[in-house]
Amino acid sequence: MDLALQLLFTGIGIGAVYALVALGFVLIFRATNVVNFAQGEFSMVAAYLMVVAIEAGLPYWAAFIVALLGMALLGVIFNLGVYYPLRHRTYLPVIIATIGASILLANSVLAIYGPQPQVLEGWFETPGIQVGPVYLDSQYLLIIGVTICLVIFNFWFFEKTLLGKKLQATSQDKEMASLLGISVSTMIMITFIYSAVLGGLAGILVAPVLFVSIQMGSTIALKAFAATIIGGFGDVAGAIIGGLALGVIETFGAAYVSVPYKDGFAFLVLIAFLIFRPQGIFGERVAEKA
Amino acid sequence: MPLLEIRNLVVRYGEIEALRGVTCAVEQGQVVTLLGANGAGKSTTLRAISGLAKPTSGDILFDGNSIAGLGPEAIVRMGISHVPEGRRVFPGLTVKENIMLGASNRRAPTSEISREADAMFDLFPDIRKFTNALGWTLSGGQLQMVAVARGLMAKPRLLLLDEPSLGLAPVIVQAVFKIISEIRRNTTVLLVEQNARMGLSVADYGYVLETGRIVLGGKPDELWGNEAIRAAYLGGHAKVSA
Repeated sequence: MDLALQLLFTGIGIGAVYALVALGFVLIFRATNVVNFAQGEFSMVAAYLMVVAIEAGLPYWAAFIVALLGMALLGVIFNLGVYYPLRHRTYLPVIIATIGASILLANSVLAIYGPQPQVLEGWFETPGIQVGPVYLDSQYLLIIGVTICLVIFNFWFFEKTLLGKKLQATSQDKEMASLLGISVSTMIMITFIYSAVLGGLAGILVAPVLFVSIQMGSTIALKAFAATIIGGFGDVAGAIIGGLALGVIETFGAAYVSVPYKDGFAFLVLIAFLIFRPQGIFGERVAEKA
Repeated sequence: MPLLEIRNLVVRYGEIEALRGVTCAVEQGQVVTLLGANGAGKSTTLRAISGLAKPTSGDILFDGNSIAGLGPEAIVRMGISHVPEGRRVFPGLTVKENIMLGASNRRAPTSEISREADAMFDLFPDIRKFTNALGWTLSGGQLQMVAVARGLMAKPRLLLLDEPSLGLAPVIVQAVFKIISEIRRNTTVLLVEQNARMGLSVADYGYVLETGRIVLGGKPDELWGNEAIRAAYLGGHAKVSA
């Protein structure tokens, strides 16, 4: 029982990272009808930006701000360089462009920084606290805390602000949105910036738990992609629930069945969903809110 | 000077010439209806006016200024609001939110837009009880009301209405046209209709469009008076009630 509680905590922690990246997937998918295959690289780039900023002597909080600003800028560049020129084409050229961007980002970092994995310290000095039978790792606590805040922010932003409504309108019917005077290109720009920052946050948060490596992006993105399918593709709540569920399942699987097959469990669940419930957990709704 | 003037407008979709030189005008304060069969180019005309379709040649003058080739966001800011075919109410937003977004063409505080949206329900009392219902849960007639209310939120000087009666039960069509006759007190309307009888019943002037060209224009009673024209373009021999 104690072990189960401990695993649940860790699982939710790692699941929260998947949830954040999955949220980025979903928001871009809804705005552009395209899966952004570079979403994982956003996490990787942000983690490296963090490492570079700290090596440059910035305090942790300043490095954090620099990394997030860098991600916002990357979101702008990505939108203008990858999506915008192809926006009137079908989804296929855009998807291929995001795959190309993902390869470009990974190899640019490789060329600049070399293949050695880097270590990023966590935010807190103290490694964690013991609460009853469960040891709460401080970095996992931070991940869970930030994710809760972001989910609340996301809800407030999309449900309570007029800008959020315009973003939703754009994702539901771009032509109609433009007829109302909503600047569709601005809305899509905001979506890319927001998704890049979300992905970046996930990368910075998870970096102290993993190593900072070129491959970290694709590993996280694969899991996050699985999470969006489990949750119901294109569904915001589904992305979050799917991410958390996946984190918990793979953590329990690793502990009780087999550690080497940890990554396998995520895909086993994914395959099971694709066979038995391809629409995902929330997939049956006719239409839903962001 | 007419509020809207279209001169020799040509619109091509690839190889297909949807409009082959359309010339017509809408006077300030009028309701003008554009009649014609399926594929005659009625919707394309509206799409060209609102900026969704790029004119190949010809000109569109709004208040004397050329708007041909401008984007839809710029055109709606100038005061032309387009309620497109199929209503296009955002399915995942509530009725109130849909209506509020109609004011996206102008700068106003959210609280003011919210009040104006509430006031819209006085003109459309039938949808008041669906204020917080999501768009996809509404029926066709209700969607049409929401779409028109949303179009009016732009405070347009010219309202473009595309097939508001399409797919609606006759009693709902009556309700929609009653609203159009109320709108006309403040707003100039360009109305596209397949239902010639309904279109002409509210219009001051009508044009008949055939395969991308205006073949006829006149006052409603003139259009109805011509037996051959009525049979060919207006569908049937029914007597107009208005």
